[in-house]
Amino acid sequence: MMKCLLVKPALLIAMLMLLTEAAATEVSIHKNEISGLLTWTAADEGFKIELIQLLPDFIRAIYAKHNFPKQEVERAAAYCIFGTIIKNTSDQHLSYRVSDWRYRTQDGKQYPVKTKTQWLEEWRKAGITFSWTLLPDTGEFAVGDWQQGFTTVKLPRETTFDLIYKWQLDGVAHTGILENLRCAPESLPETS
Amino acid sequence: MKNTFLIIILTLSFSLNADWQQPELSHNLTAVKKVIQASDFELQDMDEEKVKLSDYRGKVVLLNFWATWCPPCIREMPSMERLHQRVSADDFKVIAVNQMEDADEVFAFTGQLEIDPTFEILFDKTSEVSQDYAVRGLPTTYLIDKKGNIRYRAVGGREFDHAEVVKLVNSLIDE
Repeated sequence: MMKCLLVKPALLIAMLMLLTEAAATEVSIHKNEISGLLTWTAADEGFKIELIQLLPDFIRAIYAKHNFPKQEVERAAAYCIFGTIIKNTSDQHLSYRVSDWRYRTQDGKQYPVKTKTQWLEEWRKAGITFSWTLLPDTGEFAVGDWQQGFTTVKLPRETTFDLIYKWQLDGVAHTGILENLRCAPESLPETS
Repeated sequence: MKNTFLIIILTLSFSLNADWQQPELSHNLTAVKKVIQASDFELQDMDEEKVKLSDYRGKVVLLNFWATWCPPCIREMPSMERLHQRVSADDFKVIAVNQMEDADEVFAFTGQLEIDPTFEILFDKTSEVSQDYAVRGLPTTYLIDKKGNIRYRAVGGREFDHAEVVKLVNSLIDE
């Protein structure tokens, strides 16, 4: 039902040359044959991250259900949002901070990924107390722990960008790059 | 109600989309480095009856924080029910603390599950209890001993009826 497309070896090698700490990054892209939505998976040293395209309507439904004002629902849905799964695949203590992460647009500029704390501050001003769904700002993972939540970047639909993410294993810093991520479209393509 | 139905459909769709790619549910619970007393709380159950954690002092408690829109929460819930069925109710209690939803939403949700939960479901409508337990993401689970001490923790979904978890629960019961 799903297709697994491996990233071109040359691209992977180039990525690895950029990474001094990461030993071997395995990247794969899966396409849901029904929805056409993409999932990127990167398995680095002790750290696995998956980013799943989410449609704006999914975001609208989530926040409308929690009684967000319509303006806030649309503001969230305007972001490029990925369902994100992070897993500690090591036998060590793993930690991460979203504030260390950056996204890089095609002109080479880097921007900080918006954190849960930043969202909550904005929501609080709008009278919203709901505090879930977003990827926690920080994670402290024991062996086998994993977590998921939304990662948000302020980019238009179907924009291509790179995500630069960081984590620590027993205090040792690591960096990974997922290249050519693409924001979800406004809606699913019409099927015949 | 329309929104609730839509969210269930979308959550299940997301879950199906992501399900095969999601990490396999492991079974390891991590022993906490510093054993502390679990904070007591009082929350309403599905019948709007008030329930305190301390009502179950003398039993081992699996305390799970969850929500209906959380895919790994959905995945691990049947295994929580099987664990609940497997271990004597005289010695063990499963408590699932829902975050910021209500009984109607949870009722609609549990009707979609392969196993109807018979364990305790409580409602933390303001997330105060989860904040007190330093829960950063869902699901997060604590295993509490008979004296009310937090002994183990799991962040992310687990297969709670795995033999190792059953053994762990029984070892706390036997203490």
